[in-house]
Formats: sequence, structure tokens, C-alpha cells
Amino acid sequence: MSRWRSIIRAIPNLVGDTRRLAGLFRDRLARQFVWRSLKHHWRINLAVALGVAAATAVLTGALLIGDSTRGSLRQLALDRLGTIDEILITDRFFRQELATQLAAHEQFQAHYRTAAPAILFPQGTVETVPEEGQPNRAGNVLVLGIEPSFWELGTSQPTGNRAVGEGQIILNEPLARDLKAVVGTSIILRLPAEHQVHADSPMGEKEDRVESLTELKVSSIVPAKGLGQFSLRSSQGEPRNAYVALSTLQDKFRQEGKANAILVTGKSSTNPPSEEASQALNRLLQPQLEDYGLLIKPVELNYQTETGETKTVLKYFSLSSQRLMIDEKTESVARQAFATSGGQSVLTYLANSMVKLKEDGQPADGELVPYSLISALDPQDSPGPLKDQSGRTIKQIGKGKVVINSWLAADLQLSPGDRIRITFFEPETDYGKSNSAKPVDLEVQAIVPITEPDKPFGGRRPARYRKPPTTANDPDLTPEVPGITDHRSINDWDVPFEMEHQWIRGVDDDYWNHYRTTPKAFVSRQTGKALWSSRFGQVTSFRIPAKAGTTMETVEQQFVDQVHKSGETLGFEFIPIKRKALAASRGATPFDALFLSLSFFVIAAGLMLVALLFRLGVEQRSPQIGTLLALGTRRQQTGYLLVGEGICVACFGALLGIAAGVGYAQLMLLGLRTWWMGAVVSPFLQFHWTFRSLLLGYSLGVFTSIITIAWSVRSTSQTSVRQLLSGGTTQPSYLAAVGGGKTAIQSGLRRLMVPVMLLTAMGLATIAAVPSIATKLGSEGTAGAFMGAGVLVLAALLTSIARRLKQAYASDTALTRAPVLPRFATRNASRHPGRSTMTIGLVATACFLIASISAFRLDPSQSGKGGFELVARSSLPIYEDLNDHDKRVELFGDDTSKLTDTTIFSLRFQAGDDASCNNLYKAQQPRVIGVTPAMIEHFHDAEVPFSWAASAARGDQQLNPWELLRSVGTSQTGDQDDPVPVVLDKNTAMYSLQLWGGVGQTYSVDYGDGRTVHFKVAGLLANSILQGSLLISEENFERHYPDISGYRYFLVDTGGKETEQVAQLLENRFNDQGFDTRSSDELLASLLRVQNTYLSAFQSLGALGLLLGTFGLATVQLRNVLERRAELALMRSAGFAKRRLAMMVMLEHAILLLGGLATGIIASLVTVLPHLFSGGAAIPGARLALNLLVILAVGLLAGLAAVAATLRAPLVSALRGD
Amino acid sequence: MTSLSVTNVCKHYPTRSEPLQVLQDVTLQLAAGENMAILGPSGCGKSTLLHLLGTLDAPTSGKIELDGQDPFLLAEPQLAHFRNQNIGFIFQEHHLLPQLSVLENVLIPAIAEGNPSQEVLERAHELIGRVDLQDRIDHRPAELSGGERERAAVARSLLHQPTLLLADEPTGNLDRSNAQQVAQLLLEIQQQEQTMLIVVTHNNELANQLQQQRTLNDGRLE
Repeated sequence: MSRWRSIIRAIPNLVGDTRRLAGLFRDRLARQFVWRSLKHHWRINLAVALGVAAATAVLTGALLIGDSTRGSLRQLALDRLGTIDEILITDRFFRQELATQLAAHEQFQAHYRTAAPAILFPQGTVETVPEEGQPNRAGNVLVLGIEPSFWELGTSQPTGNRAVGEGQIILNEPLARDLKAVVGTSIILRLPAEHQVHADSPMGEKEDRVESLTELKVSSIVPAKGLGQFSLRSSQGEPRNAYVALSTLQDKFRQEGKANAILVTGKSSTNPPSEEASQALNRLLQPQLEDYGLLIKPVELNYQTETGETKTVLKYFSLSSQRLMIDEKTESVARQAFATSGGQSVLTYLANSMVKLKEDGQPADGELVPYSLISALDPQDSPGPLKDQSGRTIKQIGKGKVVINSWLAADLQLSPGDRIRITFFEPETDYGKSNSAKPVDLEVQAIVPITEPDKPFGGRRPARYRKPPTTANDPDLTPEVPGITDHRSINDWDVPFEMEHQWIRGVDDDYWNHYRTTPKAFVSRQTGKALWSSRFGQVTSFRIPAKAGTTMETVEQQFVDQVHKSGETLGFEFIPIKRKALAASRGATPFDALFLSLSFFVIAAGLMLVALLFRLGVEQRSPQIGTLLALGTRRQQTGYLLVGEGICVACFGALLGIAAGVGYAQLMLLGLRTWWMGAVVSPFLQFHWTFRSLLLGYSLGVFTSIITIAWSVRSTSQTSVRQLLSGGTTQPSYLAAVGGGKTAIQSGLRRLMVPVMLLTAMGLATIAAVPSIATKLGSEGTAGAFMGAGVLVLAALLTSIARRLKQAYASDTALTRAPVLPRFATRNASRHPGRSTMTIGLVATACFLIASISAFRLDPSQSGKGGFELVARSSLPIYEDLNDHDKRVELFGDDTSKLTDTTIFSLRFQAGDDASCNNLYKAQQPRVIGVTPAMIEHFHDAEVPFSWAASAARGDQQLNPWELLRSVGTSQTGDQDDPVPVVLDKNTAMYSLQLWGGVGQTYSVDYGDGRTVHFKVAGLLANSILQGSLLISEENFERHYPDISGYRYFLVDTGGKETEQVAQLLENRFNDQGFDTRSSDELLASLLRVQNTYLSAFQSLGALGLLLGTFGLATVQLRNVLERRAELALMRSAGFAKRRLAMMVMLEHAILLLGGLATGIIASLVTVLPHLFSGGAAIPGARLALNLLVILAVGLLAGLAAVAATLRAPLVSALRGD
Repeated sequence: MTSLSVTNVCKHYPTRSEPLQVLQDVTLQLAAGENMAILGPSGCGKSTLLHLLGTLDAPTSGKIELDGQDPFLLAEPQLAHFRNQNIGFIFQEHHLLPQLSVLENVLIPAIAEGNPSQEVLERAHELIGRVDLQDRIDHRPAELSGGERERAAVARSLLHQPTLLLADEPTGNLDRSNAQQVAQLLLEIQQQEQTMLIVVTHNNELANQLQQQRTLNDGRLE
């Protein structure tokens, strides 16, 4: 207590002390004294300087590792992007002249240099064509269709032939390595075929969605440098890229003069233009309707009078989408653009059948009308309001009502008031299968007449009328649908669903001939929306009245203007790829903070060594200090002289430490490039430094060392002059050791200190172990809490040891009982309790670090795999339900039996940044997986469920926390107020996304196209194969990623089948889709390897601490022996054989060493115990035992130095006190 | 009959220029129960002679025999045992171990060879009683006076009833009264134990109490 009190009292004097210290250096005599002392005691001063250097080196090294990680990530980002600053990539082809127009713009040239068109496919599949044997395959390859000038966009040019001609392909080295391809190898390239209609809609093509480019010859293999490692995603892993000529892809996709990407280069390769420049760039881009995938068609419904005069019944412009459905954003823009000109939205849908209902609600006997189109619109809107048979405009179509045309009324003998039943497909397919929706019964509200043309449709020629057609005679209410609208007969329709051809009658073909896609019925917009809207949209076309002065050009301009006015980009938004990459390069995990917190013990060990050595130095010259004091020098003055000397030593030592820190960082980086590469995936780390880190490291090193030295000096101030003169040091007096001089309160407080520290430590350790709290603390916070707990346990144990040593010194247990030698050694070790405690502390810190870190090594667990033996991803979507037996028979034929008992969960997949520990970049747009209801249900009674680190589940949900993903009673719009529930791996939350709030924290992803999705953490998985992705329900996935069709992520439970066989079967069958399986064991091991490798790296810090500890131990023992030379000589003179004396010294050494080991192990047990319970750690067993044995062996070896000194000591001169 | 025989013993120390001759042709004889004072000025080699007699250092030439045995022919462990059993030391700087009590300090010769037996323990208690330190038996050296420390050192030297007791300025650090007390105790015990005693001193008063007085001058014993 008195020491603490004196420290507290000393604080106000600090300023004065500093001033006096400064004064000391102005005093010539004092300067000389310090300088001579430095020279005279150079050995011990050098040892202290080395201690300071060790602490500074670790401090500086940690900061430099942070610099190096950030610098290397930044350099990698800059290297792989070259001069490319911004990139536009769309999901459709657009005119490549957009790039030319953009580059020609004056404003563009102010910030940017070039704009190059390209075709990019981030998920291509590449396969070799071997002359014999199995082909080699690689999925998820970035395929770039480039112009020759592409390579000039890089800053470091890849070597080798870079020209890529027709029929040629360039591979980068990582891809060539995977494919075992060389120059001249024949390659097949598989890419997603250009289908406009969404595959998940009933009209979307499910087959033939792969476009193959065969017989491409590898013309060159470029190294993974510069644009040879171009990537759209920030990751330090080497991307696999294939480069083909832009024209090759344009030809293959029949998209001459078109591209799907623009690469924009800036003026500086290292500093991307500002955000304002990026926004201006988006405004400069001028896509037209065609680029947006929209079609505008002038529609005229005419008839020719008997006089030959052409009269127009209906005239408007129809705006439709190549994708059939107009998406929500485009609809919104169109609605605003054409609001003033009376634009009318239409949703036309295909009814599979229509039948008349009897009064009892049953279908009437008779025929059904197959495959009819029904339009949902507002009937009184212009153009072409619908009129009933009496010529009255139908103002609105009621709920549950339908307006039919006269043909249908006649065919089914329907009158107003009759009811019809309409069947149709669900607007979204289920695993690629068009399912019939629940039939809807509607009451006929009115009948609109239609006019039969005189000349039916013929090829592309429209029908000709001599009698006036009605506004209901409009086939253009239906947008063009390839496979339907371009066929002469219904029977010829090429549709992606099973048609009931037997339903088609002659009259139906007649209708097709006369009216084509003219709707047979009309419902209100609300009814249409309720029945047929989907995630792809709720409108199929807009009708814009052709008023005077309205032309196709004005309509187009109206739309384009509105796009700019609304701020919508409709997919045409540049990604500031370099700015994002540089932001991501600041890293997910602050390495400097992590290394600093985990190096804390090494730094502490270094400082303890400094304190120990400096104190030894002071003790060594205690007679000189005593002489100075005896001659009248004040204690304060001698203290200043010693601290002044210490400052010089600290400044010098810290300088050495800076140099050593650079070496230390280099060594750690070398480790991370070689032995510990598992932690960083690829050997990309290079040494980088900043002056700030060097200065900070130096300052911190000097500051902490001076504080330590000042504390050492202060602690010797209690020694009396007489003691000092006789060479006495801080050896406790017998009275002090037995507790004399302490008040009851002081003794009580001292006794309380240890349990309080232990309890606090256990609290901190528990906090660090409880996943929900640990996640909130973040990686550094958890490391801090863990290390804080360690510090407290160590401090408590060392306090207790110091007390025990004092008691042992004061012990009355006579050396009269066997075994006498160990007792003797214990008594000797307790002679300098402070010194011995510090030595034990040094060894204990190293041991703690090594032992506790060993416990965190993890091996793949069953729960980490969730019962799945395989994880697979495909480059292109798969639509089929792979658990459906009939589908399996269709897909796998005779091999179906190989999949018996195998369960395959196909999940939606939105590509994105890898947010696992494997990615050092900060994930900006993480991958998203849509978890299907089937998978959620699977975990109701799964044999091996995933292990949860934390979840928001309450009550029954706790049995299956996946239920949290379901959106029960809420729309989950993904807005800030209504976030989407998400499950993610704890490591993803903590390290990559830094979601330290744990369960309940919200997180948003900005997709850069005006879309921001807000997520709320519902659960955290523990060490799972699902690390790196956000997991949301399929329902929410479809809502927020409507453009994603099919399934690309698969979890396979082989049900006991041979894993390799199942993997082979699936890969072979879905070869075209680039199906790539990976063993869950291997995947999990690779994810855990990151953590385990970090632990190895941090264990090496423990080894460094051990080195310092051993050095300290050896120094203390040597000092002890030298100090006791006379005593040891006396013992020899009393008949102690050298061996026995050596044994005694070794025993003393072993007591300190074992004390350190035991303290370290107990401290690590206390701190790791909560983690053992929470499953975050495991008892390391043999590995730890081996480590401890090594520590013991190294420590004992260090003791030999003291033993040797004992044996070498000259007996006679020691007795004389020479 | 036990005896100490020192014949033509020389001791040289190598120096940078020429060997430093500390002892030259030293010869002496001593029988059990006899005692001898060796006098001489500082630096004459008194302590060196004592260290040679105590087998702490080996002579450059000449022979030292105790009971007819040349201890310098023994290997280190045997020499340590020889010293433990036959020689007792009393130093001016007493060299008590500060971490041990009086009893434990007295027991050091026993601890040198293992665990102290009950017999040795009793002997230690007896010796402590004889040096009148029974009240201080559990005290540490720091809690003893100079005279008490020296007496504890005397008791320690006698634990194994040594044949030869060597005392290097045993009263050098004591006041006259204490010096007298220690000298008397030493001689009393020597007589009781019938051991040989050689005392190196330049205290004539002490030397006069001993049977023989020899002077060491320029390395030669006169």
C-alpha cells in the first residue's frame, strides 16, 4: 500500500521532477557523472538497453505489421486495377458506343482518361479438351472480353504475348495451373446464355442457358500480376481469369457492337477521383431505351373504308421490356415520365384455361378455352378505353369481375353475370417448375366487342380490317414474347412449360390467326397485380397516347430525361472500384491493434526484464550510492542521476529496438508468407512502413522503459544508507517479511487484493468467452478482455507468490528435516522475493501466452459442418429440385441410385465479397445465401445441427433458431425500420464485418445502384462451413435480389454414401454449369486454419517472451550466484562437493522456472476455462505438454549458466571478498 | 596419533611479469590437542597458508599431510568429503548465511553431505549451548551481534569434530571484550575436543594465549 501511496503522491511532483531532470542534463558535472557511469557500467547498461530494445522491437514490430498489411493490401488493389478507377457492369448488353460518347465528353476528360468497352462474365466455366483422359475444369472464372488496348490500362504489364485473336484465349497463371493448361491447349469456355426473360418466371427458358465457346486455343499465359490478376472483388487470393477478344464474345452472343461493361481509367494510378467526380461520371453516361433493354413500338389500329381511306381507331406508343416484365424501378420512372401524357400501364398474363361455371360453381360441360391472354388495365384510361356492346365506356372493372371480348363470350356462351374459372401458372416457378396457381373464379362484368379482320395475320404482317376494329382488338397489349408471338400457330409455340396440346381446338388456331395476342379478357389493375405480379415486376407494357407532336424520339427522350431527373440509374451506375478497393484495403482486422494486444505480454516481459536488469545494476552499485548519500548527496539527486542514466539507456535501447522492430516485422511477414501462409491465404504481404509507426514505437518504448526505470529507482529508495554501504539491497528484513510494520487495514487490504483481482479476471474471461458479448466487443475488444483477464490472474498469482516467498523467507521451518536440499534452495529463492517474483513473472507470461493460445486451436467439428459432407457452388444457376426423385431420374438416369439417401439443399446465391477469415480486405458487399424453407425445416430434427454461438431465439425457436429467418407477420422490406433477419458465422460478424453488437445489431449493404439493404443479426453460427456469407430466408432473398434466378449454392448430406462418388456424379452431370464441390472437412479445416495459423504466429510471440524470460531467469540466477560467491565458497569450505552445490543452485533455478510454468498454466486455465465451456477452445493435450517440456528444457539449460558460474567461482578470493 | 605435517610448501601466483611467490618452503608440524598462532604483517601470506592447510587451495610445491594423508591427491568429491570431516573453518567475516537461522548455519557441514541426522542435530544443539547461543538458536545472523555471529561460526566449525581447526583473524572484527570472550571459547573447546588449532592473527594478545607462535615473514615461516 505504501508503495502505491508513494506513487500516487509522486504524481503531482512529476512535472517538477521532469523539470529537475531536464536541469540535470544542463548541469555539466551531472552530465559527466551520468556519462562516466554509463561507460563504467556498460555491461549492465547494455543488458538494460537490450531489454528496452526487446520491448520497443515488439511494439514497433506490431505497428509495422499493421502498416505492412494495409500497405500490401493497398498495393495489391492498385496493382490489379492498374489505372482503372471506375467500372460499369450491367446484366444486359448495351451499345459499346456509350463508352466512346462518354470519353468524348469534356467533363469526363477533367477527371478521367479513357473509357474502354468490355464484356465481363464473373462466373464462367473453363474446361480443357484433353486428347485422352478426364478434362480439367475450373468454375467461377472471371472471363473478360477485351480489346487489345486493355493491357495498356495496367500499371505493371504482364510479360508474355498479350495479343488475343479470334479463336484464342489467354489464361492467367493461377487458372492455367488449376487447368494444367499450357500454350496451345484447347479450351472450352462456358458462359451464361443471353436470355432476357427470367428463368424463374414461367416464360423463362430453363434449358440451354449455357453458351459454349469451343476449341479456343490458349495463346498465352500471363502471370498473376497487374491486370493479369484483375478482379471485381477485393480479396488477396489470386483470381482465376480468362481473356478473350471482345469480338469473339460479341459474335458468339450475336451482340455486334455491344458490351456489358465499361472500364474507366483515371489520371492517377494511385489516387482515384473524388466521389463528386464519380457522381458526375454517372450523369455523363447517356444510355438510351435500347441500352436499358426497353422497346418502344408505335401501335396503330387502322381499318380501310370502302373508299380506300385509312382510318385510325387506336394510336399509341407501346413501351415494353425485352424481359417481358418491366421491373419496379423502370415502371416507376415510366409512370412518372408518362404521367402527364396519359400513359397507361398494362399487365398481360397467360391464362392456361378458361371455362364457364355453372350456377353451382362447377365447370359447365363443354369445352374450355386454352392459352388465352388476359390484360390487367384501367379500362377508361386513354389510349383506347374499353367500350361494352352498347358503346359505353367501361369506367372500371370491379373486384372479382372480368370483362371478356365477344369472341370468348360466343365461344363459351357467356353473358354478363356468368362466372368463369381461369387457371394459370404461378408467376414464379418453384425449382424451375411452373406450378399451377389456385384457379380464380370471376364474374363477367361486361362484354367488349371485337371485330374480325378481313385478312388475318400473316407472318409479320398485321391483320387488315375493312370494318372498324374496337379498342379491344389490340394484340399489342401483349409484349413480344419470343417463342409465342413469333409463331403462326398455337401448336407451334415454343414455351418452357408442358403444353396441353389436346386442349387446342380449331377455333383457337382461328383466333390466333385473326387476333394473335389480343387479350380475350380484361381485369382491373388491382386484380392483375394480386394474381400475376412477381418479384420481376407488375407491368408488361406502357401505352403512351400518340398525341400531336409525339414521336418515338420524344417518347424515348421523355423516358431518358426522367431517368436522370429521378436519380435512378436502372443498372447503369459506375462502381468506384478503386476507391472501394482502397477502402477495403484498410482491412477487416486492424493487425496492428491485434498484434499489439497479443504482444502485450511480450512487451510486459521486456519491461520486466528492463526493471530486473536495471534494478540489478542499481543493487550492484549500492555501496557507491550509499557513499554518495553518506557524503551528503540528497536521495532525490542520486535518484535523478540514476534515472538520467536510465533515460540515456532507454533512448539508446529504443533506437536498437526500432532496428530490431523492423527485423521483427520482416520476420513475422516472412512467416506469414511461408509457414503461416494459411492465415493470409496467399504470399502477398510485403514490408511497408510509416514514419508514424516508427516514431510511435520509439516514443512508446522510451516512455514505458523510463517509467519502469523510475519505478525501479524509487523502489530502492527505501534502503538505508548503512545497508547500501554494506552492499545490502532490497533484501527484506526479517521483520518486514513477517509482516511487521503493517496496520491491520493494510494487511486486510493486501489479503483482499488477490481474490478481487481473481474475480475480476474471471469476469473478464467470461465476457471474452460468451459469444454474444464477445461479438459486441469485437476482435480487439475480445483479445483485450482475454489478455486483461490474463494480466489480472498473473498479477494476482504473482502477488500471492511474492507474499509466499516473504513468508518462506521468514519461515521457521528449520532445515533439519529431509529433504533438506530443496528446502535450502527454496529458502535461497525466497531471499530476494521481488527479484524472484519478477523472474517467475517473466517465465509465467511466456508460458501463459503459449498455453492459453494452444487451447484456442480448433479442429473441424461435426457441428461446424451441420451434417453436410459436401459444399458446392456452380458458376451458372441450376433450376431443378435435386431432391425430387423424378427429376433425379431425368438428370442422372441409371446413376440415380448413387444418390439414394442423399439430401441436397439448393440455395439461392448472390455473389459478393468473401467475408470469411480468408479475406483480409473488408467485405463491402458480402455474399448472400437464400436459405430455403426446406432447409429450415430440415433442422427441426437434424441429427447434426449447426452449433450456434448466439441467437435471438426464444421459446420453441430455440429448438431450431433457423426459424428466425422466416418473415412471420412482417414484410421485412430491408429498410432501416424493417431490416431483414440474417444469420452469419460469428467469425464473419466479428472479424470481417465487425458487427460487434452481436445478435440484434443492424448492418446495411449499399449495392451502389441506389439499393441499400438493411440486415439485423438474428443468430451467430460457431465455427461453421457457412463462414463468409450472409444467410437470409429465400423469401427475403427473392424480395431483395429479384434478378437472381435458380440456385448456385449447395449443401449435400450424402447420407452415408461415398462422398467422393457423389461429388463426382454431381460435377459430371452439371459440368456445363461449372458445378464445383468441396469436402466440408476440407473447407472447415481451411477456415479454421486461418485462426490456427494466427495462433501459431502469436505463439511465436510467446516464444519470444520465453526467450526474454529465459534471459531474465539466467541473469537473475547468475546475479544471485555472483552475489553469494562468499557464501557459496563458505559452503565449499564446509565440505559441500561441487556437485551438491551445483544441484542446490539448479534447484533454486528450477523452483523459479517451475513456479513460472505453474503460474502461467494456472493463469491460462482460469482465462481459458470459460472458453472451454463455450466450445471456443479445447484442451490442447499433447501439443501443450510438448511446448511446456520445451520451455522446461530451455529454462533448465539457461540455469546451467548459473551452475557453471558457481563451479568456476574462485574459492579463495570469494572468501576474501575480492 | 593425529598430526598435521607441512613440508616445504611453496605457493606462487602467476602475474603478468613474474610469478608472485607468496609462500616459500613453509614447514610445520602439529599434533592433536596442540595449537599454534601464525603472526605476521598484512600481505605476508598468512591467509594463503591457512587456505592451503584447509585444502581450499593447492600448494605449488611441497607437501601437506593430515594424519598421513595427502588430501591434494583426492578427487574433488572426496576432497570435499575430507574437508567436511576433518577441517573446520572460522573466518574473520564469519560468513554466516543470512537466510538461515543460527541452528541451520551450524548444521551447514551436515547439510553438505545430506540430511542432518538426529545425532548431528543433538551435536548442533550442544555446540550452540557451549557457545552460549541457545537463546538465539532460531535467530537470523542479521539479528545477532558481532560476537554472537563469531560464536555461531565457531559452533559451525566444530560440528563434525574436525581434526584441524583453522581460524582466520577470528577476533579481527570484535571489540576487546568480545575478542577475549571468543578467544577463550575457542581455546576451551579446542582443548575439550582435542583438535589441532591454527589461528592466523596479528593480535598478539590472542597469539600469546596459544601454545606456539610462529611468524610469517616474506613468505617464510620463522
